[in-house]
Amino acid sequence: MSRSLTTRIKKIYEWIDKRFLVSPLIAKAQRTINFALPSTLTRQNKSRIFWLTYPYYYAGAITAFLAILQGVTGLLLAFNYVPSAVGDPGTPTQAYLSVQNIMRTVPLGALIRGIHQWGANLLVAALVIHAFWAFFRNPYRIGREITWFLGVISLGLALAYSFSGYLLPWDQLGYWAAAISIQIMRAIPLLGDFLAKILLGGTSLSATTLTRIYFYHVSLLPVLALVLVGAHMALVILQGVSEPEEAWKTRIEKQVAPLFGPFFPQQLLPVMIISLVTLGVVLLLGAYAVQIPGEPANKFLTPQFIVPEWYFLWAYGLLKWVGWIYDMVQFVPPAMVFGIDLLSAKVVGILLAAAMFLVLLLMPIIDRGKEVRALRRPLKTAVGVWAIGFLATLTLYALNEILSADLTIPIDNMNLILGCTVITIPVIAAAPTYLILRRHLAKETP
Amino acid sequence: MSEKSAPDFTKKSRWRISRRQFVKAMVSLGILGTVASFLSLLTSLMPSSKGSQQQGQVDNVFRYGPEKGTWYSDKSGSEVRVEEFDQVGKGAGVLWRGSIPAILIRVDESRLRGTTANGGLLAFASSCTHLCCISTWHLDRPKEDVLFCRCHDGIFDSYDIVKDVMPDGAEYLGAKVIGGPPPRAAPMIPLEIKDGKVSGVPSNLDIYSYCE
Repeated sequence: MSRSLTTRIKKIYEWIDKRFLVSPLIAKAQRTINFALPSTLTRQNKSRIFWLTYPYYYAGAITAFLAILQGVTGLLLAFNYVPSAVGDPGTPTQAYLSVQNIMRTVPLGALIRGIHQWGANLLVAALVIHAFWAFFRNPYRIGREITWFLGVISLGLALAYSFSGYLLPWDQLGYWAAAISIQIMRAIPLLGDFLAKILLGGTSLSATTLTRIYFYHVSLLPVLALVLVGAHMALVILQGVSEPEEAWKTRIEKQVAPLFGPFFPQQLLPVMIISLVTLGVVLLLGAYAVQIPGEPANKFLTPQFIVPEWYFLWAYGLLKWVGWIYDMVQFVPPAMVFGIDLLSAKVVGILLAAAMFLVLLLMPIIDRGKEVRALRRPLKTAVGVWAIGFLATLTLYALNEILSADLTIPIDNMNLILGCTVITIPVIAAAPTYLILRRHLAKETP
Repeated sequence: MSEKSAPDFTKKSRWRISRRQFVKAMVSLGILGTVASFLSLLTSLMPSSKGSQQQGQVDNVFRYGPEKGTWYSDKSGSEVRVEEFDQVGKGAGVLWRGSIPAILIRVDESRLRGTTANGGLLAFASSCTHLCCISTWHLDRPKEDVLFCRCHDGIFDSYDIVKDVMPDGAEYLGAKVIGGPPPRAAPMIPLEIKDGKVSGVPSNLDIYSYCE
């Protein structure tokens, strides 16, 4: 039985090969892939640190798997979603009703939407881990800059994806998240209004905006993502995974037999296992923790405790925090600098966030050091630790209203506590990191 | 005379170009023109400027807003009457001209600085000057007489009316910013009370279009 199946598959392959001449290409690809992905990555490694960090190498694989899952579930959702937001404020629009329909009457609709929703959250989470991991591991050394650029742009794409997806149900939370974002966009010096009009169809949210956002979500972004992420992954496969520093030692000191063998099919096995685990987690969350859209969007009523998705909280917190700082130092920014709005709290917040993204994007240009080991890069590692602390405390600051209500601390005190946390905690975390690594480095290289 | 009438085409000059160069230049120009003309189609991305799409006649009477769990929740959409604001500090989210969200409050006139209240009432456009969320009155900060924006904690003092300037240079009176990130005061809406109905005076509507 199995024999006849293999012969049948072989025959189909031969049929294809005769017409499209694929066998030399496949053979070459297989050779390249197995050559490029170093077996050192999967070699048995005695270093404890290596085993501790090993799972992080799969964050990228998890992201890729989730992206495929998002594609499949998104495709299914598209069959039942209606991108129309025409209607009076506060009344259910076609878009809102179609999502309700998916949740209530479409067979397995709630599960599909649940998977899509949680898949998006986990994708961003995996991507953030992947990005931070890459940041500390300095994989962009000679020859891998393009991979890094493509990766950072893909991170931006993922955020654009989730932002656009968040608006589609046209409920209060999605509406106001987008309404604030459109105003943030407008505050970009010089270009703001123009960008808002070109990209979102106007300077305030309307039915036109939903049409455009929907187009981005289901048509433009998928094409961009396929091209950019495809190139990113192709480069990783062609150039090989940037090896962990701990793996070098064993390769140089002694030849150890590979644990898993070449990439295809042996190395693919752990990727598939971890993908299945991810799928299980997403299925569970999607089935039992799916979020139903709230009230229909109403442009005359901002809901209380409005917060964006967790991965945008830091930016939201940044906007609030800059305002708080201005209050603390009693700084009243001039309305106009050189004829443009440049120093108001929101513009400064936007510029800070943009600067952080730009620094991340341009890391290969900024950081020209040859040393890749995080523990031997005191300054860079400390900056990374500071950034994590900054983002984490800003996230906390974004929740000031909710925390103040829950803990019954007056809001001004809460702001003072959280505002000081944003200033101090990142430094408290980064300074010792720097000093310890400095000392460690000095000891090693007298 | 004869020398001039017969120009020498064989002589190499700085301005002479070969046929190949000429064809290259023309083809490049053609390609550039084609690309540019296709790029011009991108202007279709600009939204058509129809202006504000107001349906039919719009009057200036305030109507109660959609906030839930307030004293005016069951009156949402009905016209605002002056006698409903019977005590100092009572306020409501209202809608003006069908598209401008506002806050109407009864104020203690002795505490008021910078303006006088018509019939003890004041109205402010409630779109926050920061990022256009809708400010509330006594909903999030029940003890403070301020317009409070839920999004980024902007606070406007409804008792301190100051002069401010819009980005386009228009001067206006509004509630002073006393906290948070808003860049300018919340614009006041001049009031008119007729037969008990409270309405706004549309003297300078451009001031209230900062969120559009």
